[in-house]
Amino acid sequence: MSIRISNEPFDKRVEKGINDEFMRSAVSGAQDRLEGRKSDSTAELGTWEDWRDHAEEIRQHTLDNLDFYLQQFAENAAAQGGHVFFAETKEEANEYIQSVIKKKEAKKVVKAKSMVTEEIGMNEAIRELDCEVIESDLGEWILQLDDHDPPSHIVVPALHKNKDQIRETFHKKRGYSQSSDPQELGRFAREQLRKEFLSADVGITGCNFAVAESGSVSLVTNEGNARMVTALPKTQISVMGMERIVPTWEELDVLVSMLCRSAVGQKLTSYITGLTPSEADDEHAPEEFHIVIVDNGRSKILGTKYQSALQCIRCAACINVCPVYRHVGGHSYGSIYPGPIGAVLTPLLEGYENNKELPFASSLCAACTDACPVKIPLHELLLEHRRDIVEHEGGGFSEKMAMQGFAYAASHPKLFEFGSRSASPIVDRFSEKESGPGPVKLWTKIRTLPSQKDDRFRDWFAERERRKNDGENS
Amino acid sequence: MGKIHNKETFLSNIAGNLGRERRTEGVERPVWKKQPQQEVFAGASPVELQEILIKQCETIHTSVDTTTAADLPETLHQVLQQFGASSAVYWQDERFHSFSLEPVLDSLPESMAWSDNDREEMTAFAERAKVGITFSDITLAESGTVVLFSAPGKGRAVSLLPEVHIALIPRSTIVARMTQAAEVIHQMREEQGKVPSCVNFISGPSNSADIEMRLLVGVHGPVSAHYIIIEDA
Amino acid sequence: MNVSLFITCLADAVYPSSVGRSTVELLERLGCNVSFPRNQTCCGQPAFNSGYQKETQKVARHMITTFEDAEWVVTPSGSCATMVQEYKKLFSDDEKWQKKAEELASKTYELTQFIVDVLGVENVGAEFHGTVTYHSSCHMTRLLGVKEAPVRLLENVSGLTLTELPFKEHCCGFGGTFAVKMMPISQQMVDEKVQHIEETKAACLVGSDLGCLMNIGGRIERTGRPVEVRHIAEILNSRKEVHT
Repeated sequence: MSIRISNEPFDKRVEKGINDEFMRSAVSGAQDRLEGRKSDSTAELGTWEDWRDHAEEIRQHTLDNLDFYLQQFAENAAAQGGHVFFAETKEEANEYIQSVIKKKEAKKVVKAKSMVTEEIGMNEAIRELDCEVIESDLGEWILQLDDHDPPSHIVVPALHKNKDQIRETFHKKRGYSQSSDPQELGRFAREQLRKEFLSADVGITGCNFAVAESGSVSLVTNEGNARMVTALPKTQISVMGMERIVPTWEELDVLVSMLCRSAVGQKLTSYITGLTPSEADDEHAPEEFHIVIVDNGRSKILGTKYQSALQCIRCAACINVCPVYRHVGGHSYGSIYPGPIGAVLTPLLEGYENNKELPFASSLCAACTDACPVKIPLHELLLEHRRDIVEHEGGGFSEKMAMQGFAYAASHPKLFEFGSRSASPIVDRFSEKESGPGPVKLWTKIRTLPSQKDDRFRDWFAERERRKNDGENS
Repeated sequence: MGKIHNKETFLSNIAGNLGRERRTEGVERPVWKKQPQQEVFAGASPVELQEILIKQCETIHTSVDTTTAADLPETLHQVLQQFGASSAVYWQDERFHSFSLEPVLDSLPESMAWSDNDREEMTAFAERAKVGITFSDITLAESGTVVLFSAPGKGRAVSLLPEVHIALIPRSTIVARMTQAAEVIHQMREEQGKVPSCVNFISGPSNSADIEMRLLVGVHGPVSAHYIIIEDA
Repeated sequence: MNVSLFITCLADAVYPSSVGRSTVELLERLGCNVSFPRNQTCCGQPAFNSGYQKETQKVARHMITTFEDAEWVVTPSGSCATMVQEYKKLFSDDEKWQKKAEELASKTYELTQFIVDVLGVENVGAEFHGTVTYHSSCHMTRLLGVKEAPVRLLENVSGLTLTELPFKEHCCGFGGTFAVKMMPISQQMVDEKVQHIEETKAACLVGSDLGCLMNIGGRIERTGRPVEVRHIAEILNSRKEVHT
């Protein structure tokens, strides 16, 4: 997989999403539950806005000094025996990971959930080596067994699947014969994956936040799979997006706290694990610890008006409140990063060519901006994308003409008044079903238009003023 | 000493995009404008923090006992019985000795203190042991979290592979929240130049909501978690 | 108090005069002297939200000039009031216009915000009999930050029972050009909104933004649901003689 998960056009993807009833009820149910839990857990703090300000300040400071903190991180990790590889492209990242696997003659890799490894298509690169890669996050494992179905949510990747579909997948791929009760399905996954953890040669994780002061990698999970992946195999590789770093453990505290509350409404998830390379062979640590720091298009976002998008901590709070995501689901975005942050980030990482619709797939309701724990002005960034698309990519010709016409009329009151006067009877004519020109037709396809019937406010006001003046004069 | 690859071009590119020269030194964290994390449960007494911890344990599906140092062996014995434990793996940690817990553990049909020397054998034992027992190094009241620092004899698998994780919590280890633990780790780095290779913040048993958003307790790690708070330690 | 009314293009050119009329009468009843600068047009959102910055600047300049001498500018739309607050961002490299934009922003208020925050009135002496539910528009609540004012005013309307709309913070799916550009998605959003409105069993839906009301109301009408849709100015201007 890479960022792009579909070759279908946007409209087709949306149509599919809207018609997938199970997915939609799963998504709206998950949104309501996750949003509810987030609201409760942030309200309980009483100072959530201060937390957001603090988190934003930390993220901004870190991004403004990113080269410094990455250097500090790399040197601290290496001083204790860790190997750090800076990868500008996904190819470089994959080649390095492949080289470690080859050197270890590894036949089996177990992996914890990681968006950046999806982004760079790491699993495919490893499979080229005749080495097995096993996803160990329950949701990701389900998707992997189901012929690599793409994730539809960055925290709950298999959100779009129901328990019967999961039972069927387990049955077909692993001979599972019990019920579709989630407890039984979960127990089966536990047994199956336990064997894999114990027999894997290499463990690969993502990285929620790296800590510069100590060269540590932190992992946030509920299942404990990231702990398994880092406690059992002899070689560990952690892959991190280059922006996922904090100066010290004190900032780690703040961002982890914000992540857990924003993502799942927990004070802390079951496991937060801080891993630091260690030369001492006495702490049950992996023998080798490699850290791959990935750019893959991020650096070109730095220093631009979109820089705040790199503040993202991948909590999915914006996704969990997005009304568009609610109705179209994750796959409609055509990207492993769905929802508002996906609509902002995907065009930045992948370009506009296949992603031109994404910034427009928003009513600009700003629920995302409100929800973001690190205060990324998401709806404003979507507007910036729209501007860039219009100015540099060329919006549609007819739209451009319409907007220029609108601007001209709206800055020439006589024309505007004339236009609005003639608009009224036109609107009246087309208030019925599926009639009228262009946009009016799209409106009336599903809604009626108000009917003015020559009862315009400005006429009423003028008439009233006239009568008032007449009254005064007589 | 590990290797660092491609650092210079990578970091210079970042500096270039930020529109300035490389920064290789002299960057200090600012005095943050707001630090709301410091206010959480500020001024709470040890007894109050213990109450907050116990309350939070309900939320994280973790059972709790309170006891005294003198009664700890008996309490642990009873808890092991409750879980039907016939085997246990625990840390090689002098606290097991100082709290006189060895006889309790020795009385089980199978029990072993972690040893770093035979990793394979220890992992295999931890995998089939019913219970893993650890001591909390720092305990976070707000989130019901035990913080475990790795060290020789304190294997990562003890709190991970067995079906049940029992954490022994001296009351003196209870702090308000992760903030205080982060300060301790930051201090370790400042004073000792390094931090433990593995710091685990564990809040209850393993769980998942990946199937239809329904809570499954016990996915990869322990299915049950139990805390024993030692009130006079 | 001298109030210049910014009626908004929807209330002026698309809707019948009732919303504007109610706004004027309400403000006058509260002691304001209301004028209507005839040169006003539209706040510019259609262009702004579609990414047409230069075109928006043109409209913004015109609006700024039109209301330059106003003491207070009041508009019966949370969304258009928000747009006026955005003008200063359009002129980040033009100090003169930026200053003018800031001046306009500082004296522009959404209607209920003006009544509660500036006039200090929470009971406008209105009477309206029936159960209503209130749709809190996104821009008004999240961007302009006006949440309490309309609710406070409605609660004090004699004879009116206010029932809370479930998922009241959810967008109705209007979003300006979004409603037509992304019509299939917008349809799903408005349908869910209508469903939530029906769940309240309220006979009347009230809102502070004609954009949202045109969307929700248009859908309600098309699908034949028996819910009346009214702008908050109409409710606050209701008096006994009208509704007995």
